[in-house]
Amino acid sequence: MNNFPALIVVCPLCAALLNLVLNRINEKLGKAVIVLSVAASLIMSVFVLAQVITTGTIHYHMGNYDMPLGIEFVIDTVNGLIVVLVSLIGFLTLLFSDNFGYKFKTRLTKGAANTVLTLLIVGLLGMTLTGDVFNLYVFLEITSLSAYCLIALGGERGIFSAFRYLLVGTVAATFYLLGVAILYGVTGTLNMADMADILNEGGKDQAMLLAICFLVPAFGIKMALFPFHGWQPSAYSYSEAGAAPLITGVMGKIPAYAMFRYLYCIYGTDFKYFNSILVIVGVFSVFGMLYGSIRAIAQTDIRKILAYSSVAQIGYISLGFAIGTPIALCGAFLHMLGHAFMKGGLFFCTGAIRHKFGTVNIEDFGRIYKKMPLTCGTLTIAALSMVGIPPTVGFFSKWYLGSAAAMQGEWIYLAVLVISSLLNAIYFFRLIEKVFINEDKSLKERVYDEFKTCGWKLVLPVVVCFIAILGLGLANVKIIDILMLSLKGVGLC
Amino acid sequence: MQLRRVITVLIMVTILVVPFVAFRVLPEIGDPNSAPNSHVTDYYIEHTISECNSPNMVTSIIVDYRAFDTMFETTVMFLSGVAVILILSNKPKKRDDMFRKFNPCTTNTGPSIFKTVNKDVMISIIEPLILIYAIYVLFHGEVSLGGGFQAGALIGMTYLLDVMVVKRKDRDIFNYSLERSVSVAGTGPFIYAVGGILGLIGGGLFMEFEAIPLPIEAPELHSIGILIVEVGVTVGVMCTIITILKAIMDRVSFDDDND
Amino acid sequence: MINAFLAQDGIYLLTVILLGLGLAGIIVCNNYMKKLICMNIMQVAVIFFFLCLGQKNGGTIPVAMDTIIHAADYINPLPHGLMLTAIVVSLGTTGVGLALLTRIWERFGTLEEDEIIQVKGEDEV
Repeated sequence: MNNFPALIVVCPLCAALLNLVLNRINEKLGKAVIVLSVAASLIMSVFVLAQVITTGTIHYHMGNYDMPLGIEFVIDTVNGLIVVLVSLIGFLTLLFSDNFGYKFKTRLTKGAANTVLTLLIVGLLGMTLTGDVFNLYVFLEITSLSAYCLIALGGERGIFSAFRYLLVGTVAATFYLLGVAILYGVTGTLNMADMADILNEGGKDQAMLLAICFLVPAFGIKMALFPFHGWQPSAYSYSEAGAAPLITGVMGKIPAYAMFRYLYCIYGTDFKYFNSILVIVGVFSVFGMLYGSIRAIAQTDIRKILAYSSVAQIGYISLGFAIGTPIALCGAFLHMLGHAFMKGGLFFCTGAIRHKFGTVNIEDFGRIYKKMPLTCGTLTIAALSMVGIPPTVGFFSKWYLGSAAAMQGEWIYLAVLVISSLLNAIYFFRLIEKVFINEDKSLKERVYDEFKTCGWKLVLPVVVCFIAILGLGLANVKIIDILMLSLKGVGLC
Repeated sequence: MQLRRVITVLIMVTILVVPFVAFRVLPEIGDPNSAPNSHVTDYYIEHTISECNSPNMVTSIIVDYRAFDTMFETTVMFLSGVAVILILSNKPKKRDDMFRKFNPCTTNTGPSIFKTVNKDVMISIIEPLILIYAIYVLFHGEVSLGGGFQAGALIGMTYLLDVMVVKRKDRDIFNYSLERSVSVAGTGPFIYAVGGILGLIGGGLFMEFEAIPLPIEAPELHSIGILIVEVGVTVGVMCTIITILKAIMDRVSFDDDND
Repeated sequence: MINAFLAQDGIYLLTVILLGLGLAGIIVCNNYMKKLICMNIMQVAVIFFFLCLGQKNGGTIPVAMDTIIHAADYINPLPHGLMLTAIVVSLGTTGVGLALLTRIWERFGTLEEDEIIQVKGEDEV
């Protein structure tokens, strides 16, 4: 029980490493072991979350070396919830990706794609849990390398997006390492809690400012915050269809969480230039929210619409960080959880439609609800949630963000929040109109020779996302209570 | 156009250099009392022999104090091998070659002067020596300079040398298929992880080498743990190099291939 | 004089200039291969920067010897250990980048960005 924090990461890692050996023995065996291991880490993360809620923050020291010497995992209620989210969506994506195996010609490449997808999950889990700045870098690189590979699998345009993302992503990783080097130069430690203690003694404001100038662009590139988002739309659109829900739903959120750790846990509100940094992050988010929504209106490929809308939605999350009160941070994290299910769910639906009819152009979607009722139900509820219609989770997270902005007297933030929601309504209602009202385009079903579609693996993720969007919305008070356990003392009060 | 580029370079360099010069926040080079040289490092230097039984401090840091990092570092190697296989598994259907016709390069390097050296004899002398040196580096990693990465790289390079010199049909010991090499590359990091899981089985925390359930004393257990870890790293690095080589060799054909 | 310059801020200055050149190269180079090389230059610059922090006057290599017992006599081993990891990571990234470039080369027969844009059209790339 007390080894669960390490096992959450190690179980899927071992399964991924052994997958290619097992794949040589039997084609089904490797995949089964991977799915079981990710399910195991889902169950373990739920247990760990329950434990954190009752007993408080858990510190797990690797190799039993004490805090500044070794590497430690720190779990509070915020990243406990995010770990549950990552392993749940990872589990669903693994099931879902079975239906896209027809793209791989040999047994080796099929198994290798599963390995890479699992290592992506491992990297995301590790980034969430770790309490060591250099360990975060290693996990960041695992995440990005597997993401480059999965994006490159999406055909010729995928190769170009992957190469572009590789260049930009490596610049981000290098900047992150440079920021870590500056902080290490003035503190001499790599542990986050220890670093926070030393930095709070004061007198290091200039070095901290220099470091944050590299850290904010680094995380900004990785999470596709507005001026650094150039790689994101094509990478999200052309990534491999089986892995797209994980890449689009979760991959951008974890660097955002890491940025939160840096801003509020390591730097803290005592930092001299803290308010200026928050204003800069706020300006980035405001422009991102407007720009992403406006660009999304002009697209016809559903994947491009969703990708540009992600630029806007990441803006909501960083807006919560920029307002900085505990309520705003809770709103940001609720939006992080909710948006993962919304965007993941929308990409599950897109993938299902593409798998059945082979189209991603929304002009072809006329009255598709007759053919795929469940998928279109989730498509609708996720779209409504994106716009912010109660009782979905999107409404409540925007409500918390907006009320926090009003309490702080940040009227510009509140106005942009409303405008961006209205812009969201334009393109999502257009999507709903295509699905329900437009005339039938009589699409032909795709025929797969020698490839068996596994129906329940397409339906289960869609249904789970439907339940999660409504459930998170109805249980938002409970979630906020859990988040507040950790966020009460954090932030500008 | 050219001027614009020069200006861009100048602006970039200025933006990056000015803060570093103006702020003077970083410690002085070589100062023994600066923060990085005094906070946790002294503990590592003073306890490396008593705690980890390993005179080489870099080894004791990367595979004992911060062993968790290195596990994922080895995984990154494996991951890049798998990624290269996946990316190179597809070929383009058509080619838009409208700009540049490929001109076969004809270079005259003169008469071959290597005719007198018998490559097949030389390779059978050199290869065992490199392999023995690799094993030496592997097992002495914690005592002197060296370790798993270097050993793995040496073995991988031996394979590369073998591929370059010996004809394909004559190679039997050193002939890995792509499937086999990539799956063995995965077992390397797995051996590493097993080293950590042994600590769990003995009732300790992950990567706690002192808890390995063997009836020997604690410093010896650290040596055992480090050895398991180094073997895992060696296997991982070696097979990743072979994998990448294989993935490229399966795809390209050289004009002097005649076997 | 040059020793005094390097001991003060000079080495930081040189590594940051290297970093700036790499970053500028990524932006202005037209050839994808050159962009990849510039990316490597950036990574090497940060590795140098990190290693500067581990330097200690009068220190020897970090392998414990019987005759030297004080911690001040060994250079700082931690940055060296960390940079081993960073080097391996940059190796992996470069490998994946080269594989991607192989695919691009096979498709277009060129790695020049403007020639590829001419074939494919602006918004595709």
